[in-house]
Parts: sequence; C-alpha cells; structure tokens
Amino acid sequence: MRLAVSTVETKTTSVQDAPQKQETHVHAQPSSARKLSTFLSTYVFSKDHKVIGLQFLFSTLLWFLIGGLLALAVRWQVAWPWSDVPVVGKLFAQQGGQMAPEFYTMLFTMHATVMIFLVIIPILAGAFGNFLIPLMIGADDMAFPTLNMLSYWFMWPAFIAFGASFFVEGGAASSGWTSYPTLSTNVNSSPGAGWGQTLWLIGLTFVGVSSMLGSVNYMTTIILMRAPGMTMFRLPMTIWAMFITAVLQAFALPVLTAAGFMQLADRSLGTGFFTPEGNIVNNAIATAGGGQPLLWQHLFWFYSHPAVYIMILPAMGMVSDILTCFARKPLFGYRPMVYSVAGIAGLGFIVWGHHMFMSGMNPALGTTFMVSTMMIALPSAVKTFNWLGTIWAGRIQFTTSMLFALSFVSMFIIGGLSGIFMAATPVDIFIHDTYFIVAHFHYVLFAGTAMGVWAAIYFWFPKMFGRTMNEFWGKVHFFLTFIFLNGTFFTMHILGAVGFPRRLADAYHYETFHHLQPLNAFMTYCAIGMVASQIIFAVNFFWSMFYGPVAGRNPWNSNTLEWTAPSPPGHGNFDFQPIVHRGPYEYSVPGVESDHLMQTDPPNAAATAAAAAAH
Amino acid sequence: MESFVVNNVIAWCCAFSPVGKAKATNLLGVISVVALSLLATGCGQTPAASFRLNLVESSKQQLTTSQEQQVATILAALFGTPDEPRVPPEINLDVAKLKLAAGPVRSDIVGRKNGLYREHCAHCHGVTGDGMGPTAAFLNPYPRDYRPGVFKFKSTERADKPTHPDLVMVLRNGLAGSSMPSFALLSDAKIDALAEYVKYLSIRGEVELSLMRAYFELDDEDEGVLPQSREFLFEEIIDPVTEMWAAADDAIIDVPDMPADLDMVASIAKGKELFYGNKANCVKCHGVSGLGDGQANDYDDWNKVVLQAQKTVDGGVKQAEKTSTWDMSAEERDEHRIELAWLDRFETVLDGNALRPRMIRPRNLRQGVYRGGMRPLDLYYRIHAGINGAPMPAAKGTVPPEDIWHIVNYIKSLPYDFNGTLGVDRPMVARDRM
Amino acid sequence: MKRLAGLFWSLLFLAVPIFGVITFAVAPAYDIWLPKDVSEHGASVDGLFYFILWLTGGVFVVTEVALFWFIWKYDANNKKSEVKYRHGSHVLEVVWTIVPAAVLLFLAIYQMNTWADIKMRRPNMAPTVEVIGRQFEWRLRYPGRDGVLGTPDDLHLVNDLHLPIDEDILIQLKSMDVLHSFFLPNVRIKQDAVPGMKIPVWFKAREEGVFDIVCAELCGWGHYKMKGRVTFESRESFEKWLEVKYQEQEATQASNAET
Repeated sequence: MRLAVSTVETKTTSVQDAPQKQETHVHAQPSSARKLSTFLSTYVFSKDHKVIGLQFLFSTLLWFLIGGLLALAVRWQVAWPWSDVPVVGKLFAQQGGQMAPEFYTMLFTMHATVMIFLVIIPILAGAFGNFLIPLMIGADDMAFPTLNMLSYWFMWPAFIAFGASFFVEGGAASSGWTSYPTLSTNVNSSPGAGWGQTLWLIGLTFVGVSSMLGSVNYMTTIILMRAPGMTMFRLPMTIWAMFITAVLQAFALPVLTAAGFMQLADRSLGTGFFTPEGNIVNNAIATAGGGQPLLWQHLFWFYSHPAVYIMILPAMGMVSDILTCFARKPLFGYRPMVYSVAGIAGLGFIVWGHHMFMSGMNPALGTTFMVSTMMIALPSAVKTFNWLGTIWAGRIQFTTSMLFALSFVSMFIIGGLSGIFMAATPVDIFIHDTYFIVAHFHYVLFAGTAMGVWAAIYFWFPKMFGRTMNEFWGKVHFFLTFIFLNGTFFTMHILGAVGFPRRLADAYHYETFHHLQPLNAFMTYCAIGMVASQIIFAVNFFWSMFYGPVAGRNPWNSNTLEWTAPSPPGHGNFDFQPIVHRGPYEYSVPGVESDHLMQTDPPNAAATAAAAAAH
Repeated sequence: MESFVVNNVIAWCCAFSPVGKAKATNLLGVISVVALSLLATGCGQTPAASFRLNLVESSKQQLTTSQEQQVATILAALFGTPDEPRVPPEINLDVAKLKLAAGPVRSDIVGRKNGLYREHCAHCHGVTGDGMGPTAAFLNPYPRDYRPGVFKFKSTERADKPTHPDLVMVLRNGLAGSSMPSFALLSDAKIDALAEYVKYLSIRGEVELSLMRAYFELDDEDEGVLPQSREFLFEEIIDPVTEMWAAADDAIIDVPDMPADLDMVASIAKGKELFYGNKANCVKCHGVSGLGDGQANDYDDWNKVVLQAQKTVDGGVKQAEKTSTWDMSAEERDEHRIELAWLDRFETVLDGNALRPRMIRPRNLRQGVYRGGMRPLDLYYRIHAGINGAPMPAAKGTVPPEDIWHIVNYIKSLPYDFNGTLGVDRPMVARDRM
Repeated sequence: MKRLAGLFWSLLFLAVPIFGVITFAVAPAYDIWLPKDVSEHGASVDGLFYFILWLTGGVFVVTEVALFWFIWKYDANNKKSEVKYRHGSHVLEVVWTIVPAAVLLFLAIYQMNTWADIKMRRPNMAPTVEVIGRQFEWRLRYPGRDGVLGTPDDLHLVNDLHLPIDEDILIQLKSMDVLHSFFLPNVRIKQDAVPGMKIPVWFKAREEGVFDIVCAELCGWGHYKMKGRVTFESRESFEKWLEVKYQEQEATQASNAET
C-alpha cells in the first residue's frame, strides 16, 4: 500500500478561504515523543479525509464479516432448528449444541444492528463520503478536518459498546434492531433486556453523534469548497447523493438520539415515556408507567425510515457514476436524477408510518401514509428508467465494477417493486412481519446497496491504494455472490406469501410451515456459499493493496476530478487547483478524439459545438 | 498435465513472492489456504448432551471426585443418558414413552420419533430436569427442579407425589401466571410421553440425592465406597422412591361434594369470616386486602436449599478466616486446607450451578390468576393440602372440609369484589380506548 | 472471446427475470403460496395482492429484459455498436413520470375502501371474546352466559379459540406485558396487541375449519411458542363447546378422565 503522506502544505486558492491548518509546533521534545505524536497524528488521529475514509472502510468491512457470521447462525437455526450448531454449539454443550431460543433472538437483533449501524451507514457516508467528497469537488480536504477525525473516533465507543454487549450477563440486546418497548424497556422481559440493551442504546448514541458530525461536515464542504467552475449542476451524482444523504442525517438523527435517551431514561431512571401504567412483565412489580409504547415506534421510524434512504442514496449516486464511465456515455437525465434524489429524501420524511400499519395507531393515519408511500415509488422508478437510458446505446465495458453496478440496477428493481406490496395496507395486513418484508429489505440493502459498495470498492480502489484489484477474481467474486444472494433471498418472497413469520426460533413448531423446511435448507446453503465467496474478495482486497498492478492516475478513463489527482493522492489532493469547465458525464463526445472529456480538460470547441447540436 | 499441476503448486507455495506477481494462480493459492483453514475451525460436532450431577448436594455432602464418579456410574447404569434412556423393570415406567421424549431433536425431520423433551422443555427445565436450562435464570418464577421429587400443584395430600393425570393436567393447561405454557395443542400421546419423562427425571434425581446422602451413613471400613450389592441399591435407595410414586394414586384428596342448594352469598360471607379468622389465618400472608402483601419473607424449598448452602459457605469462610493456623499440628493443618478447598469449590458450584435465591411472594388473590388451575376443585386442593415445597400450609385438620368450600367461594369472588359488593371487574389499566 | 464474455454476462442478467417468473409460477404447485382463506373480506385482500403481483410482475419482466437486451446489444466488443451521445429526453422523462404516478395513485385510491372495511368500520356489537397476549400464550376470555365481559361467569381459556361461522365476530385485543400481534393467516387478519390499549378486531368467517393463531410481533424468547389454534364451527357446535368448557371450569369434583 502506498500512502503518500507529506507534511508539505499546499496553499489552495479556492473560491472561499480554506480553513488554515497549523503546522505542529516543535518544542524541546525528545525525538521519540515527537516521533510518536507525529505517528499518532498522521496515522491514528489523522485529519486527512482520505486516511479517515480508509479507517472507516477497514472498520466497517470487519464488522461486515461479523454481521455476516451472525446471519449464518440465524440461517442455520431457521433451516435446522435445535440441531447442533457449528462453532456456536460449543456455548450450549450441556444441551448437545442446541441453541437456546433467547440466543436466537439475540442473533437476529445483533445481525441487523451491526449491519445497519456499523456497516452500511458508516461505509457509505464515512468511508466513501469522506474519501470522495473533497476529491470530487476539487477541494484539498473537508471544511472541518478535526470534526472529521472526531466523527471516526466517535465510532469506537460504539464498536466497544456493541462488542462488549455480547459478553455481559444476559447477552447482547435481543429485542430486535427496532427495540420496541416494552420488550426493550423492561429488564424482566428478556435476557438481553438488561445490560445488553443498555449498551445497545449507548452504542447507538455514539453512532448517531458520529453521523451528525459527519453530515455537518459534508454539507458545509459541498456547499462552500467546490473548485472554481464546479456549479451545483456540474457535481457528479455521487456528490449529490452524499449531499442529500447528509441533509437526511442531520434532520432525522436527532429524533432517534432523543428517543434513545428517552428509552435509557425509562430503563434506568424510572421514567415512563414508553411504559404503560400497571404493566407486569414476567411477574415483576407492576410499573408506574403513564406512557405509550407507540410513541417509541413513531420516534424510531421517523429516523429509521429516512435511514433506509441514507442507506441507499449514496450507493445510487456511485452506481450512476460507474455506469456512465463503463458505458462510455453521458448520464441519461441528469437533472431528473438530481430531482429524484431530492424527491426520495423529501418524501422519505412523510412515510414512516408504513412500518406501523398494524401497530394499533389510528387506521386513518394508515391511509395517509399509504398514499405517500405509494408516491415514493415514483422517483425510484424514474431513476431506474434513467439508468436503463444510460446504458442504452452505450459501449459497455464488463469490468468487475460495472458488473456490480449493473446488478445494483437489476436487484434494485426487485427490491423496489416488492415494496409496492407492503405499501398496500390491506396486503400488508397479511405480509407484515413475514419473510416478504425480509426479502424486500435484503434486496434493497444487500442486493442493492452492498453490490453498489462493492462496485465502488473495485472502482475507487486504484485511487485509494495506487493499485488495481485482480479483475479475474473480482468477476469470480461477483458471479458467486450474485448467484448465491439470489438463491438466498428471492424465495423469501414466496415464503412471505405463505405467511411464514419473521423472528421465529422454530417455525416448524407450526405444522403449517413444516413443508417449507427444504426450501429454507436450500436458502441456508446459498447463504453459506455467499459468505464463503467473500473470502475471495477479502484476499483479493488485501493482496492487491500490496501486490496488485500499479495504477496510474486514471485507470478507468473517467471524467471526474479525483482522477486528475495522483493515485493515491497526497496531502492536499491535487497538484494544482483544478478548474472545472463542464459536467462530469462527457463521454464519447462527437468531434472529440478521446472517448472521454474530463471535467478539468480545457474548453474544447468541437465539444461545445457538439453539445449545442445535441440539444 | 502433471507439469501444469506442479507449476501451479510451486506458484502457490511461493504465493507471497515479493516481486508483485499478482497472477491469478498466486491469489488462488492464498484463497485456498484461507478458505480451508476457516473450514477447519468450524468443523467438529459438539458432543452429545449429558446429565449434570447435582453438584450442590454433592458439595453439601462433601463427596470426593471419585465418589461423585461412582454416583454418576450407578446412575448411568440405571437410567442411561439423555439420548438413550433406560429404567430397571422394578421402576414402573414405560420405556417406549421415555424413548419418545428423549433424544436430540431436529425440527426439520418429519415424522421423527423422539426429541420431545429437548424440543419443548429442556431450555427451561434443563436436560437433567434440574430447572437450570439456559433460559431459567431469566424466568420468574424459576422452572421446576424435578430432582427433589417435590411437586406443587396436584390432587394428592401435601407430602405425596402427583398422580400421572396431575402431571398431564399441568402440561395441558400450563401454570397460569408463570412461564410454564399450555401444551394442549400437542397430541395426547406426546403429552403422555412428556409426563412419563418428567417422572423419569424426578425418580432419577431422587435416586441421585439418596445415593449422595448414603455416603454419610457409611462406616470407616467401607472406605468411602458405597456397597455394590443389589440389596443395598434397591432396598435402601430405589424402593423408597418408587413406593412413594406408586402410592400417589391412593393419596388423592377426598373432596366432599359442594351442596347443590348452597346459598352462594352466605357461603361467601362465611368464607370471608374464615379468611380473616384464626384457624385458617389467610391474611397473615395474603394480606388484609388479599393482595398478597402480607408477610413475605420466605422462600420455596428449592430456593431454600441454595440459600442454606450459601449460608453454610459464608459461615464457613468467615470461620476459616478467624481460625489461626500457627499452632495447628500437621494433621490439623491438612484438615483445615481440605476444608478451605471444599468451601472454595462449594462457592464455585453455587456461582455456576445454582440459581440466585428469590423470595417467594404470596399470591395476589384479586387478580383471578391461580397457578394450579382456577376450578373450584383446584382451589380446594390447594387449601386442603397447602402447596408442597412452598410456605402455603395445609388447612387439613384445622379447617373442616365443608368450610374449605366456603373459603373457595370467597376467594373466587375476590377479583369481582369492591367494598363487599360484586361487580364488573375494573380494567387493569386506565387507558382503554373502546 | 471477449464477445463471449459479454454474452455470458448478459445471459446471467437474463436469468433474473426467467428464474423470477419460474419461482412464482411454480410455487403454488409446492403449496408455497397464499394459504386458504376462510374470511369474508379475504377475497378483496387477495385480489389486491394479485393485482399488484401482475402489475409489478409485468414491470419486472419488461425492465429486466430491457436491461438484458441493452447489455447484450451494447457490449463494447460488439463491433456494430456506436455510442449515442445523448443527455436525456424531455419527452421520455415526462412520460415515465406521469404514467407511473397515475398508476400508483390509482392503486392508492383503489384500495382505500378495503382498508377501511377491515380496520375502520367497526360493527356495533359486544365483544365475542377477549384475547390477551401474554409471554408466551394467548389468554382467552368469553363473556359467559350473562354476555358481559368481566363478571364471575366468564370462561377463561388458553390458546384454544373457538368462534362461530357466518356471524360478525368482534375480538377485544389486549396485552398483559409486551407487544404481541394477533395474526390469523387464514382469515387475513393481523393486529398488534399493545400493552395499555384495548384494540378491536373484527371479521366474519365463511367456512368451518381449524387454523393457526400466530404471534407476529417479537415478544421475547418464546415468540415462536405462541402458537394458538382457532376453530371455526357452527353456532350450535360453538355453544355446545362453550357449555362443556364452562362445566370443566366450574368442576367441584375430579372427572373420570383424571383418575
């Protein structure tokens, strides 16, 4: 890995004043102490957005592995309930390896928690947002580098809290990642509702603070630190997506954080925000209460619905950039795409009740949320059509990155369409809390966002590490992942149609579901294959960091600003201030010899004429 | 072909060639090594489930490891394992039913012929029936420990065992207000098999206790080993247990008929008198308002065992700390060391192999929730015989049988009783939207 | 060679709509489909499900095949391809915004009545039974002979729900401790049981039969154990059963079955 770090300050003459950086003052320190503090400030508490981005990347990829292993344990139990579980069974040696039902509830709770809060959200915003935003807008770093460094290090208390929760008495949180009261607020209701749940809430708070710090940084950077000539409508879709995601985080997260504090207070201070009066759980003393369990659901979903858009919009943006690059064609409908992203975000604030159709809230509210939820399908549909329009009449290069990006489109169609079933309230009566829902969100989050993340890793790896990943093994990784993920998740749709419920430690307790066991076994085999295939990716990733073929500045012949910087970029990013002359998607411009015209290439008469002629 | 393989093997072995040869084959080598080593860690089945020794009792009896081993061997010979149960024919249990209940379970196997206990019961009651499955510590009240052979809710006199129908009834109806669920949706054959298995675990537990206590009776010449004779084993240990179980059917409480022309209002009034009276003295524990807020500083028998053990250990440790060893003889010092080791081990056992003692609360009679069943008959049984294993005393002998019916009628009226007038029960919480 | 690679990848993407359609087409043959419905309103719920299925299925096939076709045809190794330098089409954007919007809006309005029938238009009657969710069972309470809930003659049962057919049923749903959810798959009914709230659930069953009650909201370790059974039977059969259960509840002597 070649990480070029220099202590040379590059003066930038950006549109607004860049924040001035202080050189570390050198007092009469012993050389070892100076070396240590330099090491710490360069590699550990670095304020360079690229280093912070990589720190996020490595941390989240590790948690991705943990979350995947938790999922395998879940899948094992679903397929072969009460059988001897590999590895995990050692914890239940007295029973011959048969896991306890409360352990199962902990497994799926922590699988979802880890994947959502410690993987998808940080990898999109923290890893790629951090790495790409200054590079793609032509800035030398973020607006607030110290804040940026803190936003990574605030993740560590969360890592420790969630990690430690596995080892406390009662085990980790086991009330679902949705953490509904009174299961989560009453310590008597389940084993994980003790220390596990408290640590969960603490971890959640730190993740929230980290995200809020990051989102403030991203919004400020994108608004104020763009290179000259980089108007808002010349920004690549990645940046638009990151920008709108940051807005979503800033407005939605405080609600979740507040709700988290309220739940902590209910659990430790005896308040009753979410606890009804006279509630007796597991023969404990009746609560004083005075609260409403539904209040938590409203507060939680007010954040968590925008959260699902936080978890897909950056991937959508990156996929747009990758598709155009490897189709060698401009993005179809740039402005509609931007408006769609904004539309998804805006509508995303008024649909949270669709998670609560069965909750006991006023059914009339159900009708209003149903309408807004139906409408939010529209901007996603517009985006899908525009992606299809982008590859139409292009010249598609089948790199690994492109394959993942194409599969994002293909899988997102499935995930998006299945959402329409849930939006229809009468149908939701049947499919709520069944595997239909599980299918939907795994398609959008895994087959969608995770594929987008892999596309982005293969695409920007050369920029991050100066070498390309192995294309052959990348394609093998893609092929296996694609096959296995569809094998695992597609049949969940029909399981949901049967009414097969979620979160059951043993569904075959019901004779009605007994005949579904072979299908579940098949899905578990596919899941095992899917996780095993990631070994190929992991080895390719680390190997290529050191031994991959050296990449130049622009191995993919892409247009955006980051490809003008060295691979990897040094401190300050660019050799000289980039000036932007055009949008990011000028591929295959008629009259131009090269099949791409970078944003910083000098103005080109032939290109301008062609642009005028084409519209 | 061969050279192809050899070349690639050489390439794999030199996988980390520092010259940056990112050939596909090199990567393949690394991938294979990583994948295979990961597979190796996951392999290896967990050994079969096994019965756990009653460590609290063996620590209490100060048994040595070899003595514990002897007990385990005898039990294995008599009763088999959780996967393969067996009983000597003298113990009157149906092995076919036991086999249906025993064994590992896999929910995916259709038409399987065993595993019922492991599927439905083991995670609370434990594989050994010791009430210490993984879930047990989080339940209130704790699941039943069958090993002392004491059962609370039955139709027999206080000190007697439950009948088979008693066990079936508990399985079928569950225990309202506890974590014991109703298994009415299982077939009769399955419920029957489970009840039989409960008896099996109980008998096994009682035999285990009896064996452990027998060490105390040994003479020096026995050298700490139990007699190997059949006579000892059956006449001293097993027969006393099986006789009690066999006698259960004859010990059913004789319940007088409730008079058909009973004036319910008068009966309730009489029952109230008795409730507050000195003979039955219900209010002492159940409270002046029947809310269960009377005297409540007692423990049930299972918790008492652990509590007593804790007191023994705490007392012993305190005593040992006060004892000075400087003027002890070598022999005394040895004894002292052995005692300390025993106390240490006992403490460890209590930490890992016993549930934290929890005080037992008298029932809140205003809720209309009765663990042993809500039929008037069930309440009669509870009052007449008390609750075995719990502080609820027997009214037999103090209260005449007809009077017990009056108390039953009074109790059944309590959930609907406001200032002495029967009315519609108040909703449990204030916010009702209807 | 490289063109082969492009063909391979495009066929992989074609596999998506093919296997997708096959899965849904074949599933009913394996009994992996909507369970039998015995309710009155179930037909409109299932009808809506099928409408959306055909609609989304059609869109799915069209878009996925289009994706396959573009990948197949516009492969860079396909010498015939020539890039069309276009930034978009205003007409297309308008068309593919308006048409989906209209369809979605239609769908939204089309289903409002069904939802209102099931969740908003409560029949004016006394509850047939009170169902209380508790960790981990369904406690049932029938009003008894006097027809009023909360009197000494109530019938208390666990997990074994009986209901008459061809009559409006009103269930009063409560929870004793944590959230549960009363799910009758064969009646297309689901309602969360919220502690502190009394929520009405109503439907009418058309056919006799024995079906599952499933808990559909995580309520702790025993969530999977909250299996209940609902039996739909004729009014006379129902009343007879109530009587039998009531006699059992009021027993003052052990029955023959127990000795």
